Amino acid sequence: MHKKLLILFFLLSFLLWPCIALADGFEQLRCNSADIKTVQARFVQKKSMKILAKPLISDGRFFYASPDSFRWEYLKPLRSVVLSGKGVTKRYIMSGGKMVEDKSGGVKAMGIVLGEITNWMSGKFDQNPSFKTALHEGRNTLITLTPVEQNMAGMIEKIEISVVRKTMVVKSVKIIEDKNTATVINFSNVEMNKGINASIFQDVE
Amino acid sequence: MKSLRLLFLTVLLLASCSTLPVIHPAAQQPEAKFPACPVCPSPFLKAPHRLVHIIEVRVAGKAQGAVIGVTLIHPSAQFVSCAIMTAEGITLFEAEATPGLKIIRALPPFDSRDFARNMIEDIKLIFLAPEGQVAVKGILADGAAICRWQTTSAEFVDVVAGPQETFEITRYAASGRRQRRIKLKHGADNFYQHIELTAQDAFDYSLLMTLVESEPVESEPQTNNRGLQDNEKKCGR
Repeated sequence: MHKKLLILFFLLSFLLWPCIALADGFEQLRCNSADIKTVQARFVQKKSMKILAKPLISDGRFFYASPDSFRWEYLKPLRSVVLSGKGVTKRYIMSGGKMVEDKSGGVKAMGIVLGEITNWMSGKFDQNPSFKTALHEGRNTLITLTPVEQNMAGMIEKIEISVVRKTMVVKSVKIIEDKNTATVINFSNVEMNKGINASIFQDVE
Repeated sequence: MKSLRLLFLTVLLLASCSTLPVIHPAAQQPEAKFPACPVCPSPFLKAPHRLVHIIEVRVAGKAQGAVIGVTLIHPSAQFVSCAIMTAEGITLFEAEATPGLKIIRALPPFDSRDFARNMIEDIKLIFLAPEGQVAVKGILADGAAICRWQTTSAEFVDVVAGPQETFEITRYAASGRRQRRIKLKHGADNFYQHIELTAQDAFDYSLLMTLVESEPVESEPQTNNRGLQDNEKKCGR
C-alpha cells in the first residue's frame, strides 16, 4: 500500500513538476493556461483620444476554443463580428439590417490584432517576437508588451494586460497608441472551459 | 468691346454650367409649393460640435466595410478635426484643418495626402456653409427651395431644402460635372442623423453615415444653434 502511494506521489510530482519548478513569470502563466480549452466573456471597450471629450464606449462578447477558434463580436455602437478558425479570418458588419462580409481589406490586420488578444486571453503572453514582454507582480499581475519593430512602434506605444493573480483570468487590456490615444478593454463574466457550441465560430448571426 | 467681352463671359459661364439644374426665380412661380424663402436653406453647423458616426462604405451599391468616424467642427474658425477608427478601436486616420491640413496619423489605405484633403473637403461640404457667395437663389422645377453658391475655388454648391426636413447638398466642378451629392435627414436633434454622401471621383463610391452621438463643444461661446435651425426649417417644404 505504501509502495503504491509512493508511486502515485512520484507520478503526480512528475506531472506537476513543470508548474512547480518553473513557477515564476511567464512559464507559470503558460503552465496555468495549458488546461484552458475554452474562454468566453463579455467586454466593454473604451476608446480615448484627444478629439473625444469622453471615451467612446463599445460593448461586445468574446469566445475562444482551443487551439485557434475565436469570435469577437461588437454589439454596439458598430455591430460587427470577426470569426477566425483554421487560419481563416472573416469579418462581418451590419448593413441594411443584415450581416455582410467586410471586404475593405483591413480584415487580415484586424485578425492578427484580435488573434493576439485571444492568445493573451488563453494565457499565451510572450509568444509574439514583435513585442518585448515584462511582468510586474502586484495585486494583479501586469504584463507589459512593448513593440520591438519600428513599424509597429509607430502604431502602438505599448500594451498593458492586467491578469487576476488568483485565477489567472485576463481582467483588462490597454492598448496605448500615443500619449493621447488609448483603448481599454475590460472583460467581465469570464467563463473558462465551459462548453461552446461550434456554431458560435461559424454562424454570423 | 466691353459688351462683347461680357457676352463672351456670359456664354462661357452658361456653357460651363450646362449640367447644373435650372433655377427659377421664386416670385415668378405661382405653382411654388412654399412662399419665397427669405434666406437660403442652411443645414450647416453654427456652433462648435463633436459628432460620432458609423460610416458604411459602399462601392457599386455593395457594402465594403464600416468604420467609426469622429468629427470636431468649429464653424467660426473653419476648424475641422476628424478621426477614423475600426470597431476594435484602432485609429486608422486622424487629421485636422486649421485651415491648413495637418495629418496626425494615417495607416494604409488612408495614407495618401489626396485622401486626407478629400476627406476634409467632404466634411466641410457636409457641415459648413460654403465659402464663397450665393450666385443664384430660387426654386427648382419641383418647387424645392435652392441656393447656388459659387465657391472661392470656382466650384458650384447647390443647397436644396427637400421634403420632410431633408436637405441635399451637391457640389459641381467649374465645368458643371457633379462631384459630390449629400443627402441629410433630420433626426431627433439635428440634421446629421442620417447622411448619404455619393462621390463621382476616380471611382464612384458612397458613404452612409448614421449618428451615434452629437454634442455641442463648450470650448467656444455657444450660440443658439437650435433656434437658428428652427428658423431655417421654415424654408423647407
